[in-house]
Parts: sequence; C-alpha cells; structure tokens
Amino acid sequence: MSAELKERAAQAVEFSQKAGAQDSWSTASQSRDVQFEYRDGSLEKVKDTMSQNLDIRIYAGGRYSSHSTTDLNPERLQDFITEAVAITGALEPDEYRRITPETLFADRPTNDLDLVDASVQALDREQRVAWCRALDEVTHQHERVISATSGVYDGTQTSVSASSNGFLGEQQSTYCWFGAGVTLRDQGDKRAEDGFYAGGAHVVDLPDPETVGRTALERTLSRLDSEKGPTVKASMVVDSRAAASLLGRLLGAANARSVQQGRSFWAPLLGEEAFSNKLTIVDDPLIVRGLASRHYDNEGISSGTLPIVENGVVRNIYVDTYYGRKGDMAPTTGSPSNRVVKPGSQSLEELLGVAGTGVYVTSWLGGNADSTTGDFSLGLRGHMIENGEIGRPVGEMNVTGNLRDLFTRLELVGNDPYPYSATLAPSLVFADVDFSGA
Amino acid sequence: MKMKRREFLGRVAAGSAALSMPAFLSGCGIQQATAIADQTPENPFMDWFGVDEATTARVMAELSANGADAADLYFQHSRTNFLTLEDGIVSSASSTIQQGVGLRVVIGDQTGYAFTEDLTLPSMLAAARTAAAIASGSQVVAPQSFNAMGMGDLYKTTVPWSDVGIDQKLPLMKFVESKARSLDEAVDKVAVYWADQDERVMIATLNGKLVTDHRPMTRVTVTVTAKKGDEVQSGFSNIAAREEFGWYSEDRLTTMVQEAVDRTMILFDARRPPAGEMPVILASGASGILLHEAIGHGMEADFNRKGVSIYSDMIGKKVAEPFVTVVDQATIPRERGALNYDDEGNQAGRTVLVKDGILKSYLHDRISATQYNLEPTGSGRRQSYRYAPMPRMSCTFMEDGPHTKEEIIAAVDHGIICETYTNGQVQIGAGDYTFYVKNGWLVENGKVTAPIKDVNIIGNGPESLKRITMVANDARLDTGGWTCGKNGQSVPVSQGIPTVLVSKMTVGGENVS
Repeated sequence: MSAELKERAAQAVEFSQKAGAQDSWSTASQSRDVQFEYRDGSLEKVKDTMSQNLDIRIYAGGRYSSHSTTDLNPERLQDFITEAVAITGALEPDEYRRITPETLFADRPTNDLDLVDASVQALDREQRVAWCRALDEVTHQHERVISATSGVYDGTQTSVSASSNGFLGEQQSTYCWFGAGVTLRDQGDKRAEDGFYAGGAHVVDLPDPETVGRTALERTLSRLDSEKGPTVKASMVVDSRAAASLLGRLLGAANARSVQQGRSFWAPLLGEEAFSNKLTIVDDPLIVRGLASRHYDNEGISSGTLPIVENGVVRNIYVDTYYGRKGDMAPTTGSPSNRVVKPGSQSLEELLGVAGTGVYVTSWLGGNADSTTGDFSLGLRGHMIENGEIGRPVGEMNVTGNLRDLFTRLELVGNDPYPYSATLAPSLVFADVDFSGA
Repeated sequence: MKMKRREFLGRVAAGSAALSMPAFLSGCGIQQATAIADQTPENPFMDWFGVDEATTARVMAELSANGADAADLYFQHSRTNFLTLEDGIVSSASSTIQQGVGLRVVIGDQTGYAFTEDLTLPSMLAAARTAAAIASGSQVVAPQSFNAMGMGDLYKTTVPWSDVGIDQKLPLMKFVESKARSLDEAVDKVAVYWADQDERVMIATLNGKLVTDHRPMTRVTVTVTAKKGDEVQSGFSNIAAREEFGWYSEDRLTTMVQEAVDRTMILFDARRPPAGEMPVILASGASGILLHEAIGHGMEADFNRKGVSIYSDMIGKKVAEPFVTVVDQATIPRERGALNYDDEGNQAGRTVLVKDGILKSYLHDRISATQYNLEPTGSGRRQSYRYAPMPRMSCTFMEDGPHTKEEIIAAVDHGIICETYTNGQVQIGAGDYTFYVKNGWLVENGKVTAPIKDVNIIGNGPESLKRITMVANDARLDTGGWTCGKNGQSVPVSQGIPTVLVSKMTVGGENVS
C-alpha cells in the first residue's frame, strides 16, 4: 500500500475529528497520465502529468457534506478540513446521512483482479512514439486522407481510502489505450470522419497499433458518400460499440437516487418482467482485468455480482446507502462497475441476415432520453440493411421511441461483446423502430 | 498573507458557519489590491499563488530551455461550492478546490504540456522540464520581468462568493422550493441545486505578459417532478451568470421556477410530432444552440488549420441569406460565457463569424492565428490548469433580422416551433449536427397548436445555414447554464438567437407508417 496516500487519508480523518466531526471517510488519490499524439507524420502533443487529490466526506451533528482539494499543503489542508466541518454544521440535519456501516465493508473480496501492468508503468518515450508512428502510417494509407490524429494514452491511478469506523483500502490500476481519428475528403466540402480506440489495463491485451489504425481507417472509409436515410418503421441492428452506449442510456435511471427523487421510469419495474426475455444484464465488479473492476465501490461497499435484469425481469437497481435508506431499499452499490450483457449465439452477420432489411446503427449523434418517462430520441449514423447485408451508408437520421418499450422489442442478441467499454454489450436487434430521415 | 490564513482559521474556530473561501483569497482580490500594496509590491495574484517574479522567470526559462515559439504558465485557483435541497431540506453541501499551474511549450503546431499542483520551485521546474521535452532546440530569451496587463471589468463583484455564507443561500433555496410547490398542486417533488465559484487565474507568457483575472460564476437549477394519477413527469430550469449573490432577486428566481413548472406540466399533454423533414421555427434565446452546433464548432480554427472542418475552405463565401449575421463575443458583461482575457492571456473580444451571409472569420488560438498569420481572436480556452488551451466559443448569437415572430409563425403550414433544449452535438467534418428539443409546439396552418416533447433534431450545418429563410427582430441571449464539451474539456458558454425559420430539418418523431 502506498504509505504516503495512506498517511494522507488517515491524517484527513484525524483533522476532521479534531475539528468536531463524528465520522468521516477520506480518499487520497494520485494519477500519472501520459498522452502522446501524432498527426500527419509528426508528433503534435506530449502531455505528461502527475495529479493528486484529497476527498473527504464529513458526518457531524447529524449533518453531511463532502469536499475535495488538490492543495495538499498540510497546513492548508487542515484549514480546509476544519472549515469543511464548520460548513457541515450550517446545514440541516438529515437522519439518512450516515457513514457506510461496517457490515457493508466487512467481507471485502481479495481475489487478484490483475489491474496493474508493470510494463505500462515502464513505458518510455521511444515506445510511445513508435506506436504513434505505426498508427499514423496505417491511418494514412488512402488517397482521400486529409488528416489523421493518432494517440497513445497511458497511466496509473492509485487511491487509498480510510474511514473513522475502520475502513482501509487501496485500489490501483494501469491503463493503456491506442487510437486514431481519421478525416477523409468526401463530396463537396464534406469530410467523412470516424475513428477507433482500444485499451485495457494490460498492454498484452491490446490489439497491435496497426490493427487499431486499420480499423479506424476502415470505419471512416465506410462513411464515404453517406446520405440521409428514409423516414421508416423498420428493424434496427445496433453494433456492439453503439449498443454499449444505448445500454448506458437504458440503465441511466436504474438507481435509488432517481427512483427516490421520482425521476426514473424504473420505479415500478422492480420484480417485473419489464423487457424482452432476451435481455440479461449483470453488474460484475470482479472480472479479472476488467475496465471497471474493483474490490469496493466509492462508499466502501464490498464488491459482488449484482443481477440487474434476468431474462427480461428486473432483479436489482443500483442502490447507494443514502438513497437506499431514504427510499427503503437495501444497498447494493450506488455506482455501476462492469455491466455485462449476456451474449447470444449469433454473429453480427447472422443478425443482419435475420433482420433482412432495416437500419444498421454504428454510432449515435447527440440525442437524449427523459429518465422519468424513458422517452428518447437519438441521432444516428450507420447503413441501410439490404438483403440481409450491410448496404449504403446513411446519416442525418433520428430514432425515436421509449426505452422500456424499445427493450421489450429486443429480438436477438449477438455473440460479439464490445471489449473496450465497461459496458460489455453485444450487437442487438430490435423490431419496429421509428426512424426519421428524408 | 500567511498571517491572513491564520486569522481565517480563528474565524472558523469561533463558530462561523460561512461556506467561505479562505480570507487570504478575498484579501488578495482585486478590490483590496491597493490596500495591501505595501505588503505586496509585485502583484496580489503572485502573492496568492506564493510565487514572485523571479520564480516565475526562473520557471519560464526552464520551460523554454529547448526553444519555444510560445510558452505560458497558467496559474489557477478555483473554489466551487455546491448545495442540494431535496425533500424539503438542504442536507448536502460540497466544495472543491482546484489549484495548480499548467506549463506549455509551443513550437509550430507542436505542444508540450505538464502541470503540477505543488507550487514549489522544485516541482514547477520538474514540470517545466517535462513540458520542454517536446522541443530539441536551444534556449530562447526568456523574460526577466513581466508586464502586468490591466484588469478587465466585465464581471467585477463587490461581494466575492467567499464572503457569502450558507445561511444566506439556504433561504433562497427554500424560497425556490416553496414557490415551485405553490404554482401547481400536481408538483410532487422539488430539488434545488446551487453552485457558486470564485476562480483566479494568472497567466505569464514567454513574451513577458502577465495577465490576471478573477472569474466569478454561479448557477441555480430547479427540478420539478409532478404526478397526475399514475403518470409522472419531470422538468427543470436553471439560470447562470458570472454574478454575485445580489443577482438572485425574488423576481429572477420566480421567473425560473415558473418556467420549470410550466415546462413540466405541459409534458402531460405533449406528444411526439410526426417524424421526418419539416420546417422548424426556433424560438428566440436558447435556440442559439443551433448556432453553437451548426456553425460555431466548425469555425474553431484548430479544426480548420488541420483541414478537418466542413468550413475549412469557405472563408469569404456566401453561406446564408444577407440578413444572417452570427457573432461570438466574450465581452458581454456578466454572461456565463464572458471573459476579460482568454486562457492564453490574449484580450478576449468579438469575432464576427458570418457577416450579412458571408463567412468571415474563424475562432483562433495562438497556434492557429500564427499559422493563418492573423491576430488571435482571444478564443484560446481551457477547462483548467490540467489542460492545454484550444479555440472555443464564448457567447455565440445571431443578430436581429428583418422579420417578426408573428410573420414567421404565419409562414409555416406544417412544422414545429422549438423552445427548450437539453443538449446538442456535431460532427465537424460531415457537418451533421443535432440538438435535443425538450419542449415545443406543432405549427399548423400558420398557428401554434399542440405541445410536443422529447425529439432530437438533426441537420447539416452549411445546409441549415442556407435554409434560414426568415430571421425576426427579437434576439436575446439565453440565461441558462450551458457548458460546452470538446476533446474532453468543459467550458461555460452562452448562446442566443432571434426567432428564426429553418425551412427544412429532420425531426425525430413517432407514428411512422
């Protein structure tokens, strides 16, 4: 465990108690982050930073507040925390604001999540530049390329949390991402643009930079000559990358805060068969090398597998300690980790074949959803599905409906979960979706 | 100033409940600068960050040791305070201090960047060496002293947020809550979110400029949930500005609450419009989101110097009718997007993007202005010291046109009018952009008829500009708290527009046959 962070977190708790807090929970964190960006044959940007932060949650006199600072000068930190306790006293008391009880953090899992790759921490300038060059070379292998920016992003994040009621924990993870964004000359003044990024905790899990760069270029090439698609009710096949984002919208209000505050369409769905029986979603924080894996959440609650939806039936939502107490729901965790959608058996090609016609969505553009009603409307880019295959590229279209209703019409789930997102979603097929276009 | 810190501590220990900035912050403020001049011969901001001119010059020399076309040190301290009212009580506060210095070296279009939150000389020198590694030339002449630029006056405050206690804010939040409940008996839940911020920046540049700016900011948001039988609807409204506490008058708050309740209650009757292409009227104010997405981002010169914007080859060309003039202006007092200086230390100003239908100027930072051989437009902005600056918008709006709102509505047979929005997005190269309409109305046979809700609208920037066929004379800036995200950096912005007619856009909708 980082002795420096441990001491800083423990000291913050001590400062707060000296100032009159009954309970407090402190997290000291630091992060090394390096960015190398290469554009059109030369290095464009190098950013190399070390940042630090101290967060503290204070419980004093039945009141609560939380604070954060990057100024770790010990004298000023003590001033800051002393002031924070005084601030807490000016608030109204709230019986539901209590520190995370020991029972929720007593049995913390200890399996090795393998989130630290020493080779990431050992990366040097030459290696990063070599990867950038490899990405840059591949992304320029087409005559229509106007510009392509490639990047290597890596770092290490470490945090230590300590509480007045005996919690002590450390989490550390490394990350390394390769990616490229490509712009191609298209019709008139239009440019086609897209990109591809891949990353993980360990370098060995990444595709090589040539593959990443080639994927970025191919995705962009597939956008050339895109036109506005039709206004039509049709099947929608969402590719795995876009599916991760769509799942994020579906799950956006699946939490105790939104439910207790009356702003969630999930409120009446607990225990109900709310969605298609093809839909199963599990929150799994204990995946080895997972992008959002952890032994405990930001409240210290021990990690465990949490079924959210099983064959269309809502089993759980995300419940933190405060809104859980207030809304009379047992705490699960207030913050999502790895959200795993149970894959089906068919490939994307097979899904497109089954759909026959419709729209194949590869990315979203803007749009939003009303968390209270589930009504949504999203801009999209993709292709028409013609004879069960990927057809002409389309864009400047919207898809509109209601999230709950949409997921009752989930017909098929692919076998191709997208690995570079904490939401591990495969391609999805929906029936009878409203598209607006020309 | 260290003595001031201890005095402050004493004040808190004596039981002050103020959610305040440490006294040394306010003590170093611009208003008091003269009073403490004898103690701080250099600059109150230098004293505040615990550096002096010699230290700054030493770090600048290290930063430019391998050569530089430009280099800057961006010292920043911000304190943000949040309060939450839910279920009738204000039982959650939070505060955030961000302090650090960002160090940047520019050579041509190459950037080396580092920052440190430890403002001691060894840490700053180490960060300077890291940033300087982008360059491989020899030392350029670094300034030994810095020439302090005059303070701007766009958002001077008499009472800094550090002097405003929770005891003052709490009654206003309670007022907002009770007002919302009083306006409609269907109102079931009300939440009020308060934010205020004091930010101080000090920018030292390689060419010897020293720019300081005190940037206040505040925003209040009210969220309303209403119930009718089993049906639940929610809506919100917010107001934001570079303002001080006294700005929150009862009238101003009441207007905001009324908007939130109206926007929520109308949702019980609102439906989706038919899907597809149709004429779209954009109501004055928040509809400036059209400009932000359809043209603003595409005019940021980093995209254009790289050739990746759809507007890259359009300067001097006709892009709209002659009654269309679009401006980005940072110098509108107290607006959320206002800035005295940009985050590169350049004077912020007024840039005409489109003049009488002709595309005039991009928004430049130092790198792009150098490449185009132009003066910077003062558009280099950054989220914080943790980021390098890039061209950004400030307050983006369209000037008045020759028509009236009534004429525009009368001109539409089958279309919609859009009033409130939640968000938008754009693809710079293709020019396709979207914005999400939360509230609006159908327009049928020249009349506003039934309410609509929750539709995304998508169009293509240059095509939409050409399709602006009518512009009314009722331009106004929106008072909402808009935040613009680009390449992972968020900055506050403002937007505005008169009522305009876009003859054809693609409207998300249902009931497709």
